[in-house]
Amino acid sequence: MSKILTIKDLKLSFDTEEGTVEALDGVDLEVEEGHFHGLIGETGCGKTITGMTIIGLLDSNARIDRGEVNFRGRNLLKLTEKQFQRDIRGKEVAMVFQDPASSLDPVFNIRDQMIEAVRLSRKDSWESYEKTVKELLKQVNLPDIDTLLDKYPHQLSGGMRQRVMIAMMLGRDPSMLIADEPTTALDVSVQAQFLKVLVDLKKTTNLTVLYITHNLAVLTEICEEVSVMYAGRVVETASIRDVFHKPSHPYTYKLVHSILKADSLLDVLEEIPGAVPRLINPPSGCRFHPRCDEAVSECSKTIPPLKEIGTNHSVACLRR
Amino acid sequence: MAKKKLFWTKRIARTLITAIGVSLVAFLILHLTPGDPARIILGPYATEAAYDRIRERYRLDEPIPVQYIYWISGVVRGDLGTSIRYNRPVAELIRDRIGPTMILMGSALIVSISLGVFLGILAAIKRNTPLDYFATFQAVFWLSIPPFWLGILFLYIFGLQLRWVPIGGMVGFTSLIFPALTIGLRDEAWFARPMRAEMLEVLNQDYIKAAKAKGLKYSHVVVKHALRNALIPMITMIALRLPWVIGGSVVVEVVFSWGGLGSLLVNSVLARDYPVVQAILLLLAILVVLANLGADLLYSVIDPRIRLEG
Repeated sequence: MSKILTIKDLKLSFDTEEGTVEALDGVDLEVEEGHFHGLIGETGCGKTITGMTIIGLLDSNARIDRGEVNFRGRNLLKLTEKQFQRDIRGKEVAMVFQDPASSLDPVFNIRDQMIEAVRLSRKDSWESYEKTVKELLKQVNLPDIDTLLDKYPHQLSGGMRQRVMIAMMLGRDPSMLIADEPTTALDVSVQAQFLKVLVDLKKTTNLTVLYITHNLAVLTEICEEVSVMYAGRVVETASIRDVFHKPSHPYTYKLVHSILKADSLLDVLEEIPGAVPRLINPPSGCRFHPRCDEAVSECSKTIPPLKEIGTNHSVACLRR
Repeated sequence: MAKKKLFWTKRIARTLITAIGVSLVAFLILHLTPGDPARIILGPYATEAAYDRIRERYRLDEPIPVQYIYWISGVVRGDLGTSIRYNRPVAELIRDRIGPTMILMGSALIVSISLGVFLGILAAIKRNTPLDYFATFQAVFWLSIPPFWLGILFLYIFGLQLRWVPIGGMVGFTSLIFPALTIGLRDEAWFARPMRAEMLEVLNQDYIKAAKAKGLKYSHVVVKHALRNALIPMITMIALRLPWVIGGSVVVEVVFSWGGLGSLLVNSVLARDYPVVQAILLLLAILVVLANLGADLLYSVIDPRIRLEG
């Protein structure tokens, strides 16, 4: 077992007009090579920013304060923009975004956009590029590939666009794919179709996937491990089994039970009192303590470190 | 397909209706202006007999609607009438003058579009740097100077003082530079700002992030994906700006003694040379109408979402 990605104590903030937003406050994350690793949390907890850091596409007002992002032993935070573009993006790490409607360029057809990716990795003939593109599209179960190639993004459904995105991102055979809520914008029936594509990939390739979502149920289908994020920190990492059967952090516990108990979606929304804190002036100590039933006075003073409590199971809580 | 055909039929019909309206305005605007061409041609000491002869020859005694019918039926047959001042067919006068005007406007457009688009992109990708501020500064600078004054300034500095270019007239390429810059810089300023805004908006789109995520070079992402998308709304901007380019060239032609339609137009207005003024106004208006039609056509070439609809 080797770790393809190790994030250590990553602290990142954004300078905004309202003040400094401490978006990530000591994120620790380890991803096993060839595994599907879920990253779950509420909106605004820093999941997407974590992904953007790995692929080096942070906005220009982002500031990395400390930490390491080791990818195959190389600290990505030390790379220049040029090195990132040449060595990492697309080639080692690819990314699929949340909204398939806006992530393909509207003025180029599918063939153009796919070949553009494929030919970055090798110099070859156009026929050979096109052959590769067709194979990639077949891999994601897209029908009518010959006519599909000449189509423009607006002529495809959301589910098809998202599968084209995956195929395009796999075009350079990366070791890792970051999927940032790829099914959130899709209909439920199409979601299943999309997840099947990922499950098939899992069987046939050695691709590592960091699957970012706020929907725990989706993860059960595809992931080996799950990390739970809350307000800029990873509060618990465990196997998908342990997350459901032995959730340790109070936040994870509530998250899991909100799904298991819920009769309707409304119940899920009501389950955890309060809201994700604003990160301009985050709570001191454990950032979850204002919403936590088990909080003691110590929780507002000390930041709990992520500590191991079992095999591949770690949690950041003072009371565990 | 049928829907698309209908769209173009309607679009072209609208262009024709606009052209008819334009011809009416071109005609009326002149005839409703005070001043009698016959008196102006003949001067203050002419006899009444000569005056009547001129009025009859150019049908100036007929009611205005009848004059319009005479004129427009001639135009449709390709007969633009005879110039009162030069006593030559208007078509001939225009033929001699249209070349220099097209060269001047074309050069001005090349200057304004290439510089405007280039500075707009530069300002967007280097936003909030001195380069961006410089692009804003120069845009405001060119927009603040009236073109006729800028023209005179250019002539004074580069023609009179430095003697790099001829002082007016049309003698080779050097005499084209400053008239083209006088019109072009102003329109460049007009294009650079919206181009910057469009680029900034496009660069924030997910497909730009996705293009970067593929591993494309930033320069490639900007030139291929961002530019093509940002240019779509610019086509309208440029087409809508064309009347100003024409208007600018009229003034600038006079300042630089450029022998084109603009200077002919100004002289003909002063002489109340109705047939010439009407013909030039109509021609320029049709040019604008056609440019708008062209912009619509270009849209469907550059934007597949329009191309494939219907």
